[in-house]
Amino acid sequence: MTELQSHQNPAVRGSFDPATGIATLTLAMPKVNVINDTFGEGLRDALAWATGPKDSPREGLKGIIVTSAHKDFCAGADIDKIYAMRDAAEVFAATRSLSQLYRAIETAGVPVVAALNGTALGGGYELALACHHRVAVDSPKIKFGLPEVQLGLLPGGGGTQRLPRLIGIQPAVEAILQGKEFRAPKAKKAGLVDALVADQDALLPAAAQWIADNPKAKQPWDEKKFRGTLSGPRPGSPDARNMFMAASAMLRKKTAGVFVAPEAALSAIQEGLSLAFDRALEVEARYFTGLVVGDQSKDMIRTLWFSRQAALKHEGLPKLAEGDAAGIERVAILGAGMMGAGLAYICADAGYQVVLKDINQEALDKGVAHFEAQLRKRKRHLDDAGRQAIRDRLTPSLELSALSDNGGTDLIIEAVFENLDLKHRVTRETEPTLSADGIWASNTSAIPIGDLAKVSAHADRFIGLHYFSPVEVMPLLEIVVGPETSERTLARCLDFCRRIKKLPIVVNDGYAFFTSRVFSSYIMEGASLVAEGHDPVLVEWAARSAGMVVPPLQVFDEVTLTLGLKASEQGKVYLGEATIEGAAMDLIRALVEDHGRPGKAGGAGFYVYKDGRRKGLWSGLKGLAKTTPERTGVDYLARRLMLIQAVQSVQCLASGVLRNARDGEVGAIFGIGFAPNTGGPFGWLDRQDLRAVVTELDALAKAHGDRYAAPDLLREMAEKNEKFFPDTP
Amino acid sequence: MSEAMIFDAVRTPRGKGKASGSLYTVRPVDLLATTLRALRDRNALDTSHVDDVIAGCVTQTSEQGACIARFAALTAGYAQETSGVTLNRFCASGLEACNQAAARVAAGFEDLVIGAGVESMSRVPMGSDGGAIWDPQTQWEVGSVPQGISADLLATTRGFGREDVDAFAVDSQRKCAAAMERDAFAKSVVPVVDRNGLPVLERDEYPRPGTDMAGLAKLEPAFEMIGKQFGLDHLTKPVYPGVERIDHVHHAGNSSGIVDGAAAILFGSKAKGEALGLKARAKIRAVATIGSEPMIMLDGPIPVTRKILERAGMEIGDIDLFEVNEAFAAVPMAYMQEFDIDPAKVNVNGGAIALGHPLGATGCMLLGTLLDALEEQDKNVGLVTLCIGGGMGVATIIERV
Repeated sequence: MTELQSHQNPAVRGSFDPATGIATLTLAMPKVNVINDTFGEGLRDALAWATGPKDSPREGLKGIIVTSAHKDFCAGADIDKIYAMRDAAEVFAATRSLSQLYRAIETAGVPVVAALNGTALGGGYELALACHHRVAVDSPKIKFGLPEVQLGLLPGGGGTQRLPRLIGIQPAVEAILQGKEFRAPKAKKAGLVDALVADQDALLPAAAQWIADNPKAKQPWDEKKFRGTLSGPRPGSPDARNMFMAASAMLRKKTAGVFVAPEAALSAIQEGLSLAFDRALEVEARYFTGLVVGDQSKDMIRTLWFSRQAALKHEGLPKLAEGDAAGIERVAILGAGMMGAGLAYICADAGYQVVLKDINQEALDKGVAHFEAQLRKRKRHLDDAGRQAIRDRLTPSLELSALSDNGGTDLIIEAVFENLDLKHRVTRETEPTLSADGIWASNTSAIPIGDLAKVSAHADRFIGLHYFSPVEVMPLLEIVVGPETSERTLARCLDFCRRIKKLPIVVNDGYAFFTSRVFSSYIMEGASLVAEGHDPVLVEWAARSAGMVVPPLQVFDEVTLTLGLKASEQGKVYLGEATIEGAAMDLIRALVEDHGRPGKAGGAGFYVYKDGRRKGLWSGLKGLAKTTPERTGVDYLARRLMLIQAVQSVQCLASGVLRNARDGEVGAIFGIGFAPNTGGPFGWLDRQDLRAVVTELDALAKAHGDRYAAPDLLREMAEKNEKFFPDTP
Repeated sequence: MSEAMIFDAVRTPRGKGKASGSLYTVRPVDLLATTLRALRDRNALDTSHVDDVIAGCVTQTSEQGACIARFAALTAGYAQETSGVTLNRFCASGLEACNQAAARVAAGFEDLVIGAGVESMSRVPMGSDGGAIWDPQTQWEVGSVPQGISADLLATTRGFGREDVDAFAVDSQRKCAAAMERDAFAKSVVPVVDRNGLPVLERDEYPRPGTDMAGLAKLEPAFEMIGKQFGLDHLTKPVYPGVERIDHVHHAGNSSGIVDGAAAILFGSKAKGEALGLKARAKIRAVATIGSEPMIMLDGPIPVTRKILERAGMEIGDIDLFEVNEAFAAVPMAYMQEFDIDPAKVNVNGGAIALGHPLGATGCMLLGTLLDALEEQDKNVGLVTLCIGGGMGVATIIERV
């Protein structure tokens, strides 16, 4: 027997064991395995080394194992590179090249096994799909899937062709169109991996065994008798056709047709499945290329990838000094409503000791019940002891003393009603229970932190932590820095934010901060359009057709019209009566006071409800209109609903409430469901001729009031032909 | 330009389009050949004078694939000089075949041409020929939904409720039953026989005389589940954003029946007719075709009627009788609503709701039915039109001579 042979290039380590006949290709790029030119060249070179040249193939080669030297197998493509690409011919060539490399792997003539020691996503998982067999370590920490559509792309490395052929059309369509990620056990169940092994040590032996057992392995689609898919309806059959029809409809229902990526993915799957495999890959590459060079993927990648990552890494934000610690261990939540109880749950889950405080036993019981419900729903994978550990960290209490115990509370988060006097009273009452360096935070959604902090004994440790409901689900945390809030307080709260796994944006003080301001402009504009006499059905559709996740009247019902009325009283204090009053307020008032339609919780609002379910817009809305609009239609209404939010966003940037446009994008999309297809309000503006936008706003301001007045910043940018994100490709 | 005359029109009875239907055991090519033989035999035709057989057929695959018109002519024993061509304009294929036959004669290119149509829906299922219409890509680029959704959308936009469409259906059955009672179809219907000459089907077998509102009220809307549960209704939203929800009113009882059948009409020039001793029954006044909005799909008869009237220099009031295909009750209802037509002039012997709609044959059948009705009522001018998949309309105006 000869000795172990090895080979190395910048991406792959190769070894060949003549004793077993197995070549192992270990992806070993510096730091992480990422699909780029180095990866492609390295893998191509290593494959050629393993198989040997065509005219003299490697003697004794029985099979190939592909694995990784890193924690992850390979988490996908180099986003930086894809983001920068705008040339269709270049993208197409690069895509074909990778696709052909993957094809070469599965047609190498020997069995190839992906030994998945870690997460394989996107192009990384597509590499695994191009192997004949996928064996993975059975760990819930390891994930598999094709999440490309989430960034406005589709799996361009054969994923749209191999997955449906392997697991059937319907499961593959669901996985790809939703960009689903599967943890190892579920991946096995769904057929994304073929076998699981207990641990790392068992991985390569299992792969080797499979090679020994399957010396003639071929991909199913390379078998002569292959009929299109391994399971489920065959391509071209009436069942498959109906399935695609239903998939098209469900997708449109969900997305209103604003996302190009899932639509292209569905087309690529349907079209490709009936074609010869090699040419099907080409069809996929053509659809992929269109997405890569298009605007939508650029805008989505900028915000949902780069800006989100930057926000998660707290880029540009103060950090705790070397050796300093956040010093937050004991947290108290004031108010045991949905928000308070939810906050208590996420804090306890993150490992904090939590006091949930209310003044009313019934409310407290309800809060605890909510906490328990979350525990059952979200911690199903834990055992009783695991759930108990989280529960043990919660102390529900009616007594203020519970906050003072054990040296006081490190962080108090107030989640009581939106009322300045009440919040002042609560501040005075509870601040003395803080530990020596404790922070007092308000979850207010609008009242300026500076005003709240007026009664604070140490305003430098007073801050706004604005969460979104339901707090267990909504990722965003809008951190509001008051005029006296210290940098260290902010840094400590950012540390807290990281531990509770929230996505932060940091904004400066001002009435309604950023998110509430944009959100209220959106729903009030929806009401205003109805008051002007536009068809409410068109208003709702216009919002969705522009990409807004939830239409304005529907979401207004959800936050309740009553809340809108209360907030307007508060708003008058800060913005003046003239800004608040108008046709929209009159309509809301009429709905609540004259027609008994306070919103969804009250069983009637803009919509009719039956057993808590929306049954359609209330037919009486048209009768409440004050005028008949001269101009209407989906496009016009969509412009109005988008422009009003854009104007508010630019104002927030100009006034300094927003520290940068990036936070505006992240906040709008993750906080209030702003159209993700646009990348956010600033990205939306960037794709337009700002001079035309200013002209449009001037006309709207003249017709509908100052809320449409173009901010000076926008005028200047229009004149200078500037963009909010000049670097977007 | 010479005139195109109609010398004769025949059709098979319509059999239920399922495995239990009488015509299920008959090959589609034999259905079409049955009508071609009848035209020949009734008119003592030397078929070597027939230039071409143009046959409409929608689902041109399996037994209906490979140019069924040519093989039906040969099966019927036509002279080998008689060529055949098959065309597909969805539900108006049969009328389109007639219009093309008439147009060739009128143009003077040909002298004697048969316009025909055939569909065995029991043997060759609707939709089994595939097509771009099913592609998701077509959804994104064009927008299209199954016809039933379009029909319900049409009813919704026109304000027709369930009772309205059911009432129309009851009336279609009533008119059809009356027509069959007095043998109004006898002039055109030729029996289908087997290879031994034994009768297979002699009368239309789809109608349900005595259908009433109470009976129809029991039927579940046919397209509600695919519309709501599978979300197909939502595909119409980009084109009809103002429709908050589609009212699903159509069902098997107020939509056209799935049936088997064939029809054929002999067209020719005046001169050729005289030379062969054929008596002209009517002449073609005008033909027209048009495209309409593909999502609602089924309102093409309205614009194509405007077009054909203008072309013919006529007004709606000049038309004595109408045949508007009852693909779904809402289609002729929308037509009557749009032009404010007296229902007594429309589909006087019932329509596809009662008799069935053998896709590729229906247009040709309706033209024959219209001619028979004009003769029975001794009226002169008739218009036939059909709605069409993909959003189209075809129409023909005939005048008795």
